[in-house]
This record gives sequence, structure tokens and C-alpha cells, in this order.
Amino acid sequence: MNGIPMEHGLILAAILFAIGLAGLMFRRNMVFVLMSLEIMLNSAGLAFIVAGTAWEQPEGQAMFLLVITLAAAEASVGLALLIQLYQRFRTLDTDAVSGMRG
Amino acid sequence: MLTSAHMMALTPVILVCATAVTVMLGIAWRRQHAATALVSILGLNLALVSLYLVYSAGDVSTPLLVFDRLSMLGMVLVLASTLACLTMSHAYLEGYPGRKEEFYLLMLCAAAGGMVLVASQHLATLFFGLELLSMPLYGMLAYTYRDKRSLESGIKYLVLSAAATAFLLFGMALLYSQSGRLDIAGLLAGLESSGGGAWALAGAGLMLVGLGFKLSIVPFHLWTPDVYQGGPGPAATFLATASKAAVFIVLLRIVMVAPAFHVEWLHTVLGGLALLTMIVGNLLALIQTNLKRLLGYSSIAHFGYLLVALVVADGLAVETAGIYLITYLMTTLGAFGVVTLLSSPYSGEDASALHHYRGLFWRRPYLAAVLTVCLLSLAGIPFTAGFIGKFYIVALGVEAGRWWLVGGIIAGSVIGLYYYLRVMVTLYLVEPGMRGRDAPDNWGMKAGGVVVLGLALLVIAFGVYPTPVIDWMSVLTSPVH
Repeated sequence: MNGIPMEHGLILAAILFAIGLAGLMFRRNMVFVLMSLEIMLNSAGLAFIVAGTAWEQPEGQAMFLLVITLAAAEASVGLALLIQLYQRFRTLDTDAVSGMRG
Repeated sequence: MLTSAHMMALTPVILVCATAVTVMLGIAWRRQHAATALVSILGLNLALVSLYLVYSAGDVSTPLLVFDRLSMLGMVLVLASTLACLTMSHAYLEGYPGRKEEFYLLMLCAAAGGMVLVASQHLATLFFGLELLSMPLYGMLAYTYRDKRSLESGIKYLVLSAAATAFLLFGMALLYSQSGRLDIAGLLAGLESSGGGAWALAGAGLMLVGLGFKLSIVPFHLWTPDVYQGGPGPAATFLATASKAAVFIVLLRIVMVAPAFHVEWLHTVLGGLALLTMIVGNLLALIQTNLKRLLGYSSIAHFGYLLVALVVADGLAVETAGIYLITYLMTTLGAFGVVTLLSSPYSGEDASALHHYRGLFWRRPYLAAVLTVCLLSLAGIPFTAGFIGKFYIVALGVEAGRWWLVGGIIAGSVIGLYYYLRVMVTLYLVEPGMRGRDAPDNWGMKAGGVVVLGLALLVIAFGVYPTPVIDWMSVLTSPVH
């Protein structure tokens, strides 16, 4: 891979994944939660591309296409629920809907 | 290259997908609730029949999918649970004021996902099947979105399930980067020869987190009770039965093909998770006052017991897992079925608080009897199906000398008995004036009622005379064809 070791790419993907995970855990706004999920899925996609390039195989890119499709579907369902959330509660705060406990 | 044998083996999946497309076109043409339900049930039955033909034709394997006995078992379990859920949704959705038909479309798509998942032997199909199974569930859980809790459970499941998928995918990518293979057998063999390393270890751990979330293994279980409580009855039933069974079967397949699985640390981790899951699941169920939440925690505990089969992973492990899974499915379908029937036809939040069940026996003696049988079976009382399943699991644990796990199963069962009995006592208390939600008077005549009664009879029949199912299971789970 043009002299860049695979580990560097994987470390970059891992950092992106950690950023997404941190956003998911600390953000309460639904839009930011969906964005964090998107970052996490894309970091997995990046890792597939890196691994596929290192092995000189097309499989990594094929998996990336599947991942990106999933991310799009996830975002569309997520945004649909977000609209319902806003219409009902007039807020995007995920804590506002959290009524069930125990 | 696709040959006619491959097409033949794919028939059940194709039939379910074709049914989904038919239902979709039907909705676009004219909305007809009863007809939609009928077409869906017909399609699933056709798929079940074609499964028998595929089974008698012998094993077929493609690079992505494998149609062996284990996948046949998984497909039967997924299709049968979906059929039961579909039948119950018909009674449930009768009273729903919004659009009813899309629910069947979502459930058919999820069933197709489950079938792909149980047959997958490649990470691409594993991922594809898992997402085709989960994605419609977001919609199903939030289907009655005007109800606050349904919306909440849909959002919770969406966010947490997407996070779990991200974990799973990142784990897959790391394993792929170390082995250069995406088919499960090749990947595991590649890891064994390269000796693992830190990246592979992290990858395996991340995949375990992703799959553990879908099976709601402690400590990834926090979503389960909320989602079960909030989601509409049939959606929660599907999540607890078909979805979990499919994920478990694929985990079983990974464990069975894995030579690298005989690694001591992974056994220790899985054993620890199993012990934690059964104890925590049962303890948290003790303090519940909502039947759906209670069943959610009880399903967590049951998957703790099932994990024992994965920890042992040799001898009769697959057969044991199959038998336990089938008893769990029958019983859970029955118990959730009663909850769904009592909340049918839909009129706001489901009737799942325990006080709704106070004195149920004096109003609906047969429904109360069905629920009693199912709870007894969940507790593992002799002469019910649950006892046979638990007996097999304990025997497997004793055979392998995993005394900690056997102790955990016994302790869990004792705690379980207490909260199941508490619900049963509630059923027979004399009614205190106030009336809970009730099933329609003619519930026994409707398809959903017949299914629930049939499940209760099956639970007893299997408990009294288990031989046919055990024989069938030992044939289905033997490796050679």
C-alpha cells in the first residue's frame, strides 16, 4: 500500500470509531446521536478499505458498499423517527422521551 | 455460477421475498387487511413446504450461503415463529386506527433476513442477514408511533442496534485485516495460522460485543426490557423469538466451524458472560411489575442458559442447543401470545402491567391456563417442555464438568421459580372490582387464539412425550447428511 503500513490506516479508523462512540455516549441531541452513528459506521468502512487494499483484494471495497448502504438506510429510518419525536415532544433531546425505567 | 441446484436450495428465501413483494404491490393497489394477512401466511406456509423439499434434496453450499441441516433447523424455527407472530398481529392490528398492512411487509422482510442469517457462512451474508433482520424491527417497534412508549422503544432500539452493528462491522474489518479472508471457515483458519495478535484479539472482542448485544447478553442487555415493554405485542414477540433464534444459530455455526475456538480464554470469557447473564437476568426479573418487562428479563436469563451450550461446544452441544431453543420458542410465543391477545384489538398501550392480570382466571379461564402452562415451562417444571430443555442443558454442563455453570443454572432456576409463581398467583386472585383490559369474547375462535391454545398443548405434549422432537433434533443436528 504505497509504503503506508496497514496499521496506520487501522489506527486512524480506530480513532474515528472512538470519536463516534464518545459522541454517542455524551450527546443527548438526536441529530448528533445519528451523526455519531454515521461516523462509527464509516470508520468500519474505512477499516475495510484499508484491509482490502493491503491484501490487494476487491472484497474490502465490496464490504464498504454494503456498509454505506446500511448507513444510508439507518439514517433514513432514524430521521423518520426523529421527525415523529419532534412533532410529539417539540424537542430533539433523547432524555425527554426516556420514560421507561427499571 | 448459479446452477439449478442452487436455485432450488434458495427457493424458501425466494418465496418469502416474493411474498413481501406481493404484499407491497397489493398495498399499492388496494388496502385490505384480511387479504394481506392471508397472503403473508400463505407465502410463509409455502416456504415451509419448500424447505422440506430442499431438505430431502441434500446439502448445497455456495461461497456465501450454506444449506445444511443446521440452516434447515434455523429456517424452520424462524418461519414457524414468524407464522405465529403474523397470526397474532392480525388480531392485534384489527383495532389499530392507522395503516395496518405495512406491518406484514416489515415482518416478511425480517423473516427473509433471519433465513439468510442462519444460512450464512461468509461475513458479508452474516452482516446482510443481520441487518435485514434488524432494520424492519425498528419500524415494527415504532409502528404504533402515536403511543409514546412505542416511539421510545423504536428510537432506543435503532440507536443501540446501530451502535452494535458498528461494533460488529469494526470487529469484522479488523479480523479481515489480519486474515485476508471473509468466509468464516477461511477467516478462522487464517487467524489460527497467523497466531492472532492484538488486532485480531480486538476484532474478536468487538464482534462478540455486537452479537452479544443482539442476544442481550449481560452487560449488553440494558435495552431489552424497555424495548419489549414499549413495542407493540407482535413486534416484541418477534424480537424475542425469531430474531434471537436466528442470531443464536449463526453464533452456533461460528463456534462449530472454529478450530481457533478451542482457545481457553474465549471459553473463560463466554463462561463468565453466561454465568453473569443467568444470575443478573433472574435477579432483575424479581423486581418487575410489568409482565412484558418480566418476560424480557426472563429471556435474558434463558439466553444465559443457552450460552452454556456454546461454552461446552462439543459432544451433544448442538443437539442440546436445538432442543433448548425449540422449547424456549414454544413457551415464549405462548406467553407473549397471551399478552398480545389481552391487548387485542389495539387500543393504546398494551395490557402488560401485572394488575391487568389480577383475577384473569375468573374472567378468561382458558387464557389463564395457557399463561400458567407457559410460565411453568419457563420455570422448567416437569411435564412441560421447559423441563426437557433445562434437563439437557444441565446434563451437558455436568458431562463437561463445568460445575460453576451448573450451579448458576440451578441458582437461576430457583430465583426464576419465585417470580414465575408470583405471576401465577396473581392470575388466580379473586377479582377486586376493577376490571383490567380484556380479550374479545370470541378470542378462542380467532386464528390468534387457536395458535396460543395450540402452543400450550405443544408445550405439555413435548413435556410428557419428548421422544419425537428429540429424534428429529438429533437427525437435524448430526453433521453428516
